[in-house]
Amino acid sequence: MTPLYRRQFLHRLGLSAASLPFLVGLPSLGLGAPARPRQRLVIMFSPNGTIPSAFWPDEEGKDFKLKEIMSPLAPFQERMLVLRGLNNKVRGDGDSHMRGMSCLLTGVELFPGNIQGGSHTPAGWASGISIDQELKNFLQSREDTRTRFGSLEFGVGVTDRADPWTRMSYAGANKPVAPISDPYQMYHKLYGQLKDRANLQSILDTVRGDLQKVGKLISADDRRLLEEHETLVRQMEKDLADASRQKLRVTPPTFEEGIADQNDNVPRLSRMQVDLLVNSFVNDMARVATLQYTKSVGSARMNWLDIKDGHHGLSHEPDKDEVTQAKLVKINKWFAGELHYLAQKLASTPEPGGDGTLLDNTLIVWTNELGKGNSHTLDNIPFVLLGGGFGFEMGRSVKLPGVAHNRLHLALAHAMGHRLETFGKPSLCDGGPLKLG
Amino acid sequence: MPVPVIFRVLSLLALVWLESQPARAAVSARQSGSEIYRRICAECHGPTGEGVKGKYPEGLHGDWSVEKLTRYIDKSMPEGAPEKCVGEDARAVASYIYDAFYSRAAWSKLHPARVELVRLTNRQYGLTVADLFKRLGNADPPVGPERGLRAKYFNSRNFGKDKEVFERIDRELRFEFGTNAPAGVITTTNGFAMQWRGSLLADDTGEHEIILRTPNGARLWLNDDETPLIDAGVASGQLDEHKAKLRLLGGRAYPLRLEFFRAPKDKTAAVGLQWKPPQGPLETIPARNLSPTNSTRTFVVTTPFPPDDSSVGYERGVSVSKAWDEAATQAAIEVAVFVVKHLDRLSRSKPSDPDRARKLEAFCLEFVTAAFRRPLTDDQKRLYVTTPLKGAPKSADAVTRVVLLTLKSPHFLYLGLDGAKPDDYAVASRLSFALWDSGPDKELLKLAEQGALHTREQVTAQARRMLADVRTHAKVRHFFHHWLQLSHAEVLTKDAALFPGFTPELIANLRTSLDLFLEEAVWSGASDYRRLLLAEHLHLNGRLAKFYGVETTATNDFVKIALDPKQRAGVVTHPYLLAAFSYPKTSSPIHRGVFLARNIVGRALRPPPMAVVFKDADFAPNLTMREKITKLTRSRDCQGCHAVINPLGFSLEQFDAVGRFRTREKDRAIDVVSDYLTDDGEKVRFTGPRDVAEFAVRSESAQQSFIEQLFNQVVKQPMQAYGADSMARLHQSFAASGFNMQKLLVEIATLSALHGLETSTEKKP
Repeated sequence: MTPLYRRQFLHRLGLSAASLPFLVGLPSLGLGAPARPRQRLVIMFSPNGTIPSAFWPDEEGKDFKLKEIMSPLAPFQERMLVLRGLNNKVRGDGDSHMRGMSCLLTGVELFPGNIQGGSHTPAGWASGISIDQELKNFLQSREDTRTRFGSLEFGVGVTDRADPWTRMSYAGANKPVAPISDPYQMYHKLYGQLKDRANLQSILDTVRGDLQKVGKLISADDRRLLEEHETLVRQMEKDLADASRQKLRVTPPTFEEGIADQNDNVPRLSRMQVDLLVNSFVNDMARVATLQYTKSVGSARMNWLDIKDGHHGLSHEPDKDEVTQAKLVKINKWFAGELHYLAQKLASTPEPGGDGTLLDNTLIVWTNELGKGNSHTLDNIPFVLLGGGFGFEMGRSVKLPGVAHNRLHLALAHAMGHRLETFGKPSLCDGGPLKLG
Repeated sequence: MPVPVIFRVLSLLALVWLESQPARAAVSARQSGSEIYRRICAECHGPTGEGVKGKYPEGLHGDWSVEKLTRYIDKSMPEGAPEKCVGEDARAVASYIYDAFYSRAAWSKLHPARVELVRLTNRQYGLTVADLFKRLGNADPPVGPERGLRAKYFNSRNFGKDKEVFERIDRELRFEFGTNAPAGVITTTNGFAMQWRGSLLADDTGEHEIILRTPNGARLWLNDDETPLIDAGVASGQLDEHKAKLRLLGGRAYPLRLEFFRAPKDKTAAVGLQWKPPQGPLETIPARNLSPTNSTRTFVVTTPFPPDDSSVGYERGVSVSKAWDEAATQAAIEVAVFVVKHLDRLSRSKPSDPDRARKLEAFCLEFVTAAFRRPLTDDQKRLYVTTPLKGAPKSADAVTRVVLLTLKSPHFLYLGLDGAKPDDYAVASRLSFALWDSGPDKELLKLAEQGALHTREQVTAQARRMLADVRTHAKVRHFFHHWLQLSHAEVLTKDAALFPGFTPELIANLRTSLDLFLEEAVWSGASDYRRLLLAEHLHLNGRLAKFYGVETTATNDFVKIALDPKQRAGVVTHPYLLAAFSYPKTSSPIHRGVFLARNIVGRALRPPPMAVVFKDADFAPNLTMREKITKLTRSRDCQGCHAVINPLGFSLEQFDAVGRFRTREKDRAIDVVSDYLTDDGEKVRFTGPRDVAEFAVRSESAQQSFIEQLFNQVVKQPMQAYGADSMARLHQSFAASGFNMQKLLVEIATLSALHGLETSTEKKP
């Protein structure tokens, strides 16, 4: 059976939106093999630029050596596509961090606004949709690629503030999408209904028992009302039992309780979010995901790496400050390690109802808002592609001649069957989608 | 042991015989009355007046005298052939039915009412859940009389303490600064900022849309101190409208904080805070709905419930359905999600607290006890707290289970489970649901625990204390809206060409005007019921005054203005009601007359025997409305009721479809004089609305109708169930108190709280 939107599903059952969504809210998940292989996209973000000398491979082509930062990704080198020379050429209002972040996936200018960055003109939100949301809308518009959520926006250690430094996903002009940083909240979004169902099932017997007990203490006339009520409870028990026969492909991950959304928990939060992300893919709840580590100008203090300073502060230090450079390499390498965890998890999970693994049909794009932290350049934005299913020729290091990053977004769209003419600012799309196949 | 049938029949006969002995003279008349009834009336009214489906389905009972019944039967019954029962026959039937079932006493003997087990109504559910959390926290300070919000002005876009320039009260938030700064704020290179704090006072329950208009940065927190309802911190210089919706319960205060800042490069500055309340148009939030007093968050259930049964004229929880059970379940889940999210605050502990488990259990016990409105037995503690807490490995699930179990339990959902043996806790609940539609507060529970809530004095003292609470005010307002049938006014539209200026804004002002009038009538001075009908003043603001041709200096605020007492008489002539009971283009004497007959004068009207629609086009255009209605209702079938309805409606003919006073219709002077027939067949001449009002305040049946309607809304049970003399007792004390409505409320609450208890008072320690 094709997965449906919940509302549509309820509609077909003749139920209104007001009726128990936790009962029947999940469409049948006994997924067969899809007509076409699934395609999934994950965009992973880490902030404050990279250390180019420890990041970009010196070589071009198939034969390249991973530098220190990307060393954790060695097991996946053959499935990687390292793209150097993609520039964020969007100009206009906002400082480099703001444009770096809010134009990264939108490829279009920011509105003028009241948010003052370091030295540049102030700015507002992006003036267009981001590529992840564009692709989500595209996939959701078609019966055979539609999923319950379409896209999921994960965050790790993103602050609570809403401004152009904290948002890279946009549902449209002036419509930033907030990532969910709290894994428990994301868990509730994905599996809350199941939990509610289980919790409800566990108490109904007691409710029924108490209705009977109380009924004995009152007059026969009044008891009728309680007896009717009891019948309803019994009916609900039966409905719930029927509903729980709908099985998920995999059960939700089990989390330790009470991991607070705070700096020192970032490594654990990261793994929880990645686990949920992979889990949501197996259960085919979404085909697009973003995974945002902190934010532009993010100042995580990576105590777990023995680094006491904030990330952003360090990123401003000059190249000649070797101690700091070493710390920044360590920080960026830690992000690569999290990417490895994600890739490994996808690579070790079989594709539901199909051949191979999830990674075979999932492309991860690891990116950043700046090319380099201390220069705030928007040239040579890190773009590392990892995975498969998009028809790109992987296992390569590619140097491009300063190409607008809009063209990468076009390539992603075309690879998913969404044949856009332009994306973001049209004048930055000259040359069309990057040829990566 | 079964009694032989023949013996039962014999003893029954003996009884009848013995009973009839002393009244021998009446026997023949009564028998003939009952014979006539069986022969020509029972077909439609049923053998004991219970009604016949498809004929006359309503029960045949009411408050007409034998005289009046006689006259009516003589003239109009049986329907279509009144000549079949006239004169002495009519009198015989009237006497028979009066004693057999028609009179209040006879009917209640035949249909003994009882206090039924009921579930919480939807209104009670929402309020009870809200107060459950209020009770677990600290009490809010009472909302003071001052209106508007506390404002702090800063000469920088940041809200630094050292940047604060001054503090003041802003009554409304509607500022256009243009390129300037607010007066008194010296602009620096870093813009300026304001912060407003206080409470939003919601009038009605329902979805409220909040609109924040500004080209600058702003954030609004409403009924949630943590997450902004509107986060418009990022702005692009154009005037933007940021909208959000939330459900609020009427009659309560909600914490509000608005932060606004103008960034240095913003070209202009402006900020406006508007709303669209459930019964009103989009408008700047009026000062009267803003208070500088702080309040705390109220949890508002948003799950929609199916409507309650209101077949007897008031909402009561006498039935359950699948839709209701599902809504109650969904609402319980909603509450559980809220509890889990705020578990640290509610349990006063953090997950890392070594004492967490104990504190969670303590919270759960507190929660269940509050929800059940009485201390738990050991068995209940095990069932509702210990077992579910142990049942799930994770505290979030464990607490969720406790909440679900509690809110689905009969002890939470039902009222009257202790019917047979009411104790002090039952009294506490009865009082709180009567006056607040919500669970008892700490004070009531404390008294119940001390065993000090069962004598008449104790209960009355508490009822008096509870009057001052905003929840009583909200409930009384709810009653008034019901009594005055304001649901009619919710779709109030008039012909725009005929009545320019009768806009949605004006209609919303009319509603406020009526509410202010009612509030003042109940909660100030002598709380005299008669003032509701006789007062000659209206509460008007500038817009209303202009529309209704009243001279005043009032602007946005409402002021009390005395009008010509010949023209205006309390709710009888409030323009909101006059407009609600009118057609889009013309007045409607029938709608107005029916409303006055049923709700103000207290006459029982039966549904019309046939459906007749008033079509203006059917009449000669030169006729007045009075002439048209007279013509339309002249048949004998109609006159049974329209003899009552029309004179009442005609007395208001000097008010047009929007409630404006007029003396002429179609260039003819309006005739407002008409003769009204009382219950007892007495003719009363009305020469205008004041005569109607004067008549109503003197009429016992009007007073009793008011008492009964108030009783029904307050207690939500049939009055007869509290003793056949309930009405007599309440009416007597109402009259003795000078028709004091507050005292009547106390009397009603006390009467219902003491039900089944008062006789055993002495036995208590």
